[in-house]
Amino acid sequence: MERKSILRFLIILMFGILLAGLLNLDLLQWAKFRRLSDSNCIRLIAQSGARGNILDRNGEIIVDNRISYDVLILPQELSQIDRILSGVSRILGTGVKELKAAFKSNYFSSSIPVTVASNIDLNKAILLGEYKLEEPSIIIQPMPLRHYPYGPLAAHVIGYVNEIDRWRLTKLEDYGYKTKDIVGFGGVEEKYDYYLRQEEGGLSVEVNHRGKFMRVLGFEPPRNGKDVQLTLDLKMQKIAEESLSGRKGSVILMDPQSGQVLALANYPNFNPAVFVNKRTRLIAGLFNNPDSPLINRAISSSYPPASVFKVVLASAGLELKKINLYTSFLCRGSTMIGARKFSCWDVHGVQDIVSAIAHSCDVFFYKTGLLVGAQNIHDYALKLGLGKALGFELPYETGGFIPSPLWRKINKFQKWFDGDTANLSIGQGDCLVTPLQAANMMAVFANGGYLPSPYIIKAVGNLDLSAKKRKLSRVAFKKSTFEIIRRGLRAVVSDARGTGNVLSGLGVSVAGKTGTAQVSRGATHAWFIGFFPYENPKYVICVFLENGGPGHAASVIARQIIEAMNKQGLI
Amino acid sequence: MRNSFLRILILALVITSLGVLSIYSSTYQKEGAWQDIYKRQMLWAVIGLACFFVMSQLNYRKLWDANYFIYGVALFSLFLVFTLGIIRLGAQRWLKFAWFNFQPSEFAKLAVIIFLARYFSRKSADDISLLSGKFGIFRGIILPFIFVAVPMFLIIEQPDLGSGLMLLLVFVSLLYLTNVRLKYIFTLLFILILPLPFFWHFLHDYQKQRLLVFLNPNIDPLGAGYTVIQSRIAIGSGGLFGRGWLSGTQSQLYFLPESHTDFIFATFSEQWGFLGSSLLLLMYYFIIRQGFIIAQRTQDSFGRLLAYGISLLLALQVFINIAMNMGLAPVVGLPLPLMSYGGSSMLVTFIALGILVNIDRTRSVF
Repeated sequence: MERKSILRFLIILMFGILLAGLLNLDLLQWAKFRRLSDSNCIRLIAQSGARGNILDRNGEIIVDNRISYDVLILPQELSQIDRILSGVSRILGTGVKELKAAFKSNYFSSSIPVTVASNIDLNKAILLGEYKLEEPSIIIQPMPLRHYPYGPLAAHVIGYVNEIDRWRLTKLEDYGYKTKDIVGFGGVEEKYDYYLRQEEGGLSVEVNHRGKFMRVLGFEPPRNGKDVQLTLDLKMQKIAEESLSGRKGSVILMDPQSGQVLALANYPNFNPAVFVNKRTRLIAGLFNNPDSPLINRAISSSYPPASVFKVVLASAGLELKKINLYTSFLCRGSTMIGARKFSCWDVHGVQDIVSAIAHSCDVFFYKTGLLVGAQNIHDYALKLGLGKALGFELPYETGGFIPSPLWRKINKFQKWFDGDTANLSIGQGDCLVTPLQAANMMAVFANGGYLPSPYIIKAVGNLDLSAKKRKLSRVAFKKSTFEIIRRGLRAVVSDARGTGNVLSGLGVSVAGKTGTAQVSRGATHAWFIGFFPYENPKYVICVFLENGGPGHAASVIARQIIEAMNKQGLI
Repeated sequence: MRNSFLRILILALVITSLGVLSIYSSTYQKEGAWQDIYKRQMLWAVIGLACFFVMSQLNYRKLWDANYFIYGVALFSLFLVFTLGIIRLGAQRWLKFAWFNFQPSEFAKLAVIIFLARYFSRKSADDISLLSGKFGIFRGIILPFIFVAVPMFLIIEQPDLGSGLMLLLVFVSLLYLTNVRLKYIFTLLFILILPLPFFWHFLHDYQKQRLLVFLNPNIDPLGAGYTVIQSRIAIGSGGLFGRGWLSGTQSQLYFLPESHTDFIFATFSEQWGFLGSSLLLLMYYFIIRQGFIIAQRTQDSFGRLLAYGISLLLALQVFINIAMNMGLAPVVGLPLPLMSYGGSSMLVTFIALGILVNIDRTRSVF
């Protein structure tokens, strides 16, 4: 070939290479380069909406939001940043050094605005707004923050909000959660986070190579989260917390007809605001406290039910016809079962079912228990909603535990003895229930035969859920069984020697059952579960005091609560 | 004959106008004097056009006679740059005149081509055959190489590696087109390539950096590799139809440095996309092809070599500049003829095209 043809061919080849390069960049890798180009010049400035409010049953606010202001800066050349930061520091009155340190530590990438100061008040925000006219790279962002007008009130129901942790992030990534998102921990905040959660909107702005603001490209308004209405009654909740004040335990008020929880108080509690204000030391204190103030004792801890459990024994005995209204046993302060002596807490003499409930006679129920049998006791406990989780809406509910011979054989390879039956009969041994389960069981006797599923969410957004949640299951006991046990429960209060006599003479007729649970260490747990008014029950109450002494102590608190409710005309 | 004149004129005018549009789009948002540089470019285009007309009328054989003078002036101005030149962007490439800066290296490229074309088309006094067929290694290779090497050395020392290497490439390809034996050419190439690793130490730091960055732009994305990365983004984000005139974010928000000079192709391509860019490539190709056609149908060997040399110079500059825009070649400071902002390059290119047209016009005389 001639030299010039080869050269011409080379020229054509050169242009072919250029064309191939163009094809590669413009057509094959177009999307990638367009994205890179956009990320060069487009900055997204997120604006967050407000998290949904949490309301009580009457629409009163329990938790809402207040507006605070954050100052952000679009990253750009260092000399520019220094100038802007010194301007900002003049207005805010904070040192340039602090702002620089904040800029450094919050800097993520050149494409994301950096927060240099947060939580500034309105006046300074307005001043900065004027400075922004000179320096458009400053962004003042309204930032709704959780606000708790009642401090720690209903803290365990509400939960708290904090930056998302790694575990939750891996679980929730697919649902649009991102690092540094504020999410709920515990309580309604966690369980209903998806609804409460605000939707982020934002501005997209164009910047030049120095990160200087050029123009606004688009705006998507942020959306607020949905409000969640609880079944809680703010007044009752306040009464419950005030009455419990300072004593470890929980108080539950519940509507026996529907299963709505009206008040749910625990102590020790916490102030969720410390998480919003990032009070690191106080937060660490909460996590390290041996009394675990973050635990929702009403549903997440289970305790021996003690004499409260005798209601189950009475039901089983009456239903299985092992005892009737006229059956009576003699209490001499103790009884022998096998070779072991099981004692009663007092000497009661001849006891029938009503007086045995009233006086909480152990001997009567030892004997009833032996007649009924352990497996039957277990079955009737389950019929009354014990031993398994209630499916309550708040997270971390525990199911409690009711032992049975079968369980022991399968899991522990041990025999079941009559002594175990006797222990179970008075709610001791391995038997564990949560305060909510105890209250729920009492609801069956209050409403005359329906086991409710307790719930606490009344509505989400504008959607009323109470119709869907109202799920009562029939407990198929004989009418007489309920009548006899109700008489016994009433006698607990009305009988002069009844264990809950302290609750008499209130102007409201109360019925209920006390319990004193022996624990391996420390003082006994105190129980009182009951309902009132006796004739037409509107409320079930459960007072539980962890290591709070005898059942009497719980009854005293129940009395305070009912008195206060009566005074405020809530009954 | 009129045909080639009109074709080249129209193509050159269209490309120059696209260049002015691109310069305007990349600078209209800047402050002060920057906003007016597209007007200066238009002025240069008008002057260039005038030169084009003058050169197309001036018999190119006059260049044969003026050859030593042209070469001498080129060499002299390069020496002047060496001593008096003004420093911009860390390089001493410009001579300051009343209201403009002149870049002698652009002029030197054309001067060397004229010199070489004459050198290789001298004829024997006895039988009117070309002398170059009988050249031995000294007269065929070494002597002309010395004449190329002197200006090349001066240009590389400015430093302007791109223009210097351009001279070498044009020299080698012109050698290839003459009757000089292939054996000699390969010997020259071999001698040039052999000490390359040795030359590495004579390169400036920024030149080493650029070569390393060419191999992998991501070793220094904010420093030496920045330009190539941004220019690739600019070209790629154009897509099929481009982002539209004045809507290219890479060039108009200044992410792309030198968007009106060496990287004007990226500026153009971002706004006009694949369609616009391939059309531009096609126009360059047509001009160069026209140059080759003119060379082929010219009987006069001086005219032929001159036409080849000018076409090759254009082709190589276009190729290297666009290839470096796309990251296919290392970044060397080479303008894109007719498009990049800069009077010297524009002027020299129009003069070269004028010579090309004149060769075609005059060929029938012989």
